[in-house]
Amino acid sequence: MPKVRTRQELETLRRELMARRDSAATCISVCAGSGCLACGGAELIESFRDCLSGIEPADTVGLRVTGCHGFCERGPLVVVYPERIFYQRVRPADVPDIVAAAVGRIAPVERLLYRDPVTGEVIRHEYDIPFYRKQRRLVFENNGLLDPMRIEDYIARGGYAAMAKALFDMTPTGIIAEVKRAGLRGRGGAGFPTGLKWESAAQAHGGDKYVICNADEGDPGAFMDRSLVEGNPHSVIEGMMIGARGIGASEGYVYIRTEYPLAVERLENAIAQVRAFGLLGSRILGSDFSFDVHVALGSGAFVCGESSALVASIEGNPGEPRAKHIHLAESGLWNKPTVLNNVETWANVPLIISRGAEWFAAIGTENSRGTKLFSLVGTVRNTGLVEVPMGTPLGEIVNDIGGGVPEGRSLKAVQTGGPSGGCIPAELMQLPVDFDSLQDAGSMMGSGGMIVMDDSACMVDVARYFVEFLVDESCGKCSSCREGLKHMHAILNRICAGHGRESDIALLEDLCDVIANASLCGLGTSAPNPVLSTLRYFRGEYEAHIHDRKCPAKVCKALLRYEIIPENCTGCGACRKRCPAEAISGEKKAVHVIDPGRCIKCGMCVDACKFDAVGVS
Amino acid sequence: MTSESSKISTEAPVGAVLVVGGGIAGVQAALDAADAGFHVHLVESSPAIGGRMAQLDKTFPTNDCSMCILSPKLVECGRHLDIDVLTCAELIGLEGEPGRFTARIRRRARYVDINKCTGCGDCLQQCPVRYQPRFRVAREPVRLSEDEDVLVGSLIAKHGRSRSALLRVMQEVNAALHYLPAPVLQRLADEFAVPLSVLYRIGTFYTAFSLTPRGRHTISVCTGTACHIKGAPKLVEELQRELGIAVGGTTPDSAFSLQTVRCLGCCALAPVVKVDNRIYGGVKSGDISKIVKDHI
Repeated sequence: MPKVRTRQELETLRRELMARRDSAATCISVCAGSGCLACGGAELIESFRDCLSGIEPADTVGLRVTGCHGFCERGPLVVVYPERIFYQRVRPADVPDIVAAAVGRIAPVERLLYRDPVTGEVIRHEYDIPFYRKQRRLVFENNGLLDPMRIEDYIARGGYAAMAKALFDMTPTGIIAEVKRAGLRGRGGAGFPTGLKWESAAQAHGGDKYVICNADEGDPGAFMDRSLVEGNPHSVIEGMMIGARGIGASEGYVYIRTEYPLAVERLENAIAQVRAFGLLGSRILGSDFSFDVHVALGSGAFVCGESSALVASIEGNPGEPRAKHIHLAESGLWNKPTVLNNVETWANVPLIISRGAEWFAAIGTENSRGTKLFSLVGTVRNTGLVEVPMGTPLGEIVNDIGGGVPEGRSLKAVQTGGPSGGCIPAELMQLPVDFDSLQDAGSMMGSGGMIVMDDSACMVDVARYFVEFLVDESCGKCSSCREGLKHMHAILNRICAGHGRESDIALLEDLCDVIANASLCGLGTSAPNPVLSTLRYFRGEYEAHIHDRKCPAKVCKALLRYEIIPENCTGCGACRKRCPAEAISGEKKAVHVIDPGRCIKCGMCVDACKFDAVGVS
Repeated sequence: MTSESSKISTEAPVGAVLVVGGGIAGVQAALDAADAGFHVHLVESSPAIGGRMAQLDKTFPTNDCSMCILSPKLVECGRHLDIDVLTCAELIGLEGEPGRFTARIRRRARYVDINKCTGCGDCLQQCPVRYQPRFRVAREPVRLSEDEDVLVGSLIAKHGRSRSALLRVMQEVNAALHYLPAPVLQRLADEFAVPLSVLYRIGTFYTAFSLTPRGRHTISVCTGTACHIKGAPKLVEELQRELGIAVGGTTPDSAFSLQTVRCLGCCALAPVVKVDNRIYGGVKSGDISKIVKDHI
């Protein structure tokens, strides 16, 4: 492996790599994100390898195994360059057809193309698909274009040029000033101005300083950071190097969830490659800057996403937060000044340095600059990863990019910010998505999970779900959070079971107040948000559970009854065979009956019935 | 005392009592005397009062938690205006007669100004000496199976014995053996020179660790938000029924362990079930028995 010793050598290497990449050549890019691999991507890649190895002459068609393309709903995804023909839900059996079309440069395989669910029109090119067309991809731009296992791809796409610029054309204070002028705010959730954080760490006393990348993406329903680390790990490493140069750190850590084995593998591979190229280590590119990155693995604790808990975990202790009278920027890892930023924040840094603060600040809104990645999931037509400028209306993300909720359903709410966020009702769809607007609406940006819920979601159940999550994940240090959440959970359970009391709503509000004000860390203080926001916008549902003992969305089991609708039942017996509790009886071709005493309300009969003959009331 | 009462001086007794030893007996004696109106000097040779009782779990005969009995008394003793707690102190001489003793007490240097100390614990963090057991329980050396022994040895060779390497070593033990066996934890405590309780604290804090053996296959149902609203709870119920175990349990034949996990990050495929490293997306209750059979 050639060591890159100077900035000149880096540029030469880049030119050589570029020369070898013919942008007009045909290249099949296959998504190898966790999502696509889970639905058969691994076999697909093998099939492409086999199929392409038989093509003469060799190398007429390239194969690139890339990171997540974002449109996970339609996976496994294949994009054929240079035309950017987009194939979806590709199976190994489709491979010969795709290869034949690519080699012969003939018309694409129509059955695998994307069909607009509304107009029915067949769309050929990736950039014409509504899901992609409305997005503005900056951080995510390279994800579908490079092989995350090959540093050469990243360098050819301009990688590590921003780091070289920061090292040779800028002073450390200049780097911080640039990030401050860009107005970058932390993408982890709270939105603290990144430049300010760096500045206080740069000014803090102490010889050794550290930079940390928080890749402990614990919010359920969020996977932006995973996809970024899986698809473009070098952008995160480059960002950390620039940050380290700015504050004067020579060591960095990436704290990553153990639940993301693929991301860990690709990150470790990337770090090994950067080291091999000499871009990590001592005296990088001949400058006086030395830096190295280590990987620290999480062990399945949500609270470790909190900065001081994360630091405690890297130090080898249980991840309990501490009071932050003194910021991490002054006394963090091993009591040294430490800058901790989220994956997406770090990935934004090279963009700001290479394209300039003005360019970045022109995107987004006054107080929230740049773009934001969201994982758009739940009951929405197009699920996947979305990158839009800050301030994009919520409705545009859900309806135009996400394609709205499925046919016959109506949008009820969008949950943002994970367990610390809240539910935004359908009436507020014009709300611009930025840090401050979401906060005002009782939710928060969070790391970017965006969970769409249609009318089949019960908001009391959703609140109960988040509280249950938080009961499990509370570290137990503050009694308000540890005990208060348990009590809230008991009350919500009671309401869902149909035993709610008249005084319960007031009691919930009291508990929320205490937990928010008496807890130490961000997890505790924001823990009441799911309950508060659902109480604010969906109070009627709580009242229906308590006063009328009814669950309007038909979710809370204790309040439901399964019945067979005699008019629809054909007596096929499908439900009887599937029922695990033997609660369904009936003769062949006669109307069946469900015994409510034996029914365990598992819902298998509803799934089994082809005639809509099982009703829930 | 009645026989000796005749020896008591006719001079008026001084209103102070000396209690030697700050264990539970001394603490209780000091409290009783102080509440009876005497000024009490409580002398204790160690740096803190409390004695042995803090090391006990339960007390005979009621099985009450010993700390629950002890700690309120310690607080009361510490705050009592009529009790003067003298720690790091020893009685070196006693003269006089009942009712009028003169005691000589030597206090060792504490090197901390107790009037200024707020008990924040920061100095504890900075102290380079990590762990000095004040009492040792005699026990047999830990015996590990050959595999465990080799594993622990190789991990320590790889990561070293620093405090920050401990978590990494525990992670790798858990990954290799699917759980943290008690003897291995004891060995690690000895190797890293940390109390065993620290390892148990870490082992029970992080959900990735298990203290009981797990099955050959681990079935994880994602209960992230997207999976939850798309029906993950039903899948959990179905798996519990299919395997006959509760979440967190292992089948009697050690084939499967069932657990829930908060978000595998495959939300677009919700609901998701993961068996070992294979991910199944869009799972319905009816698919469960097939997924289980795939791995038998």
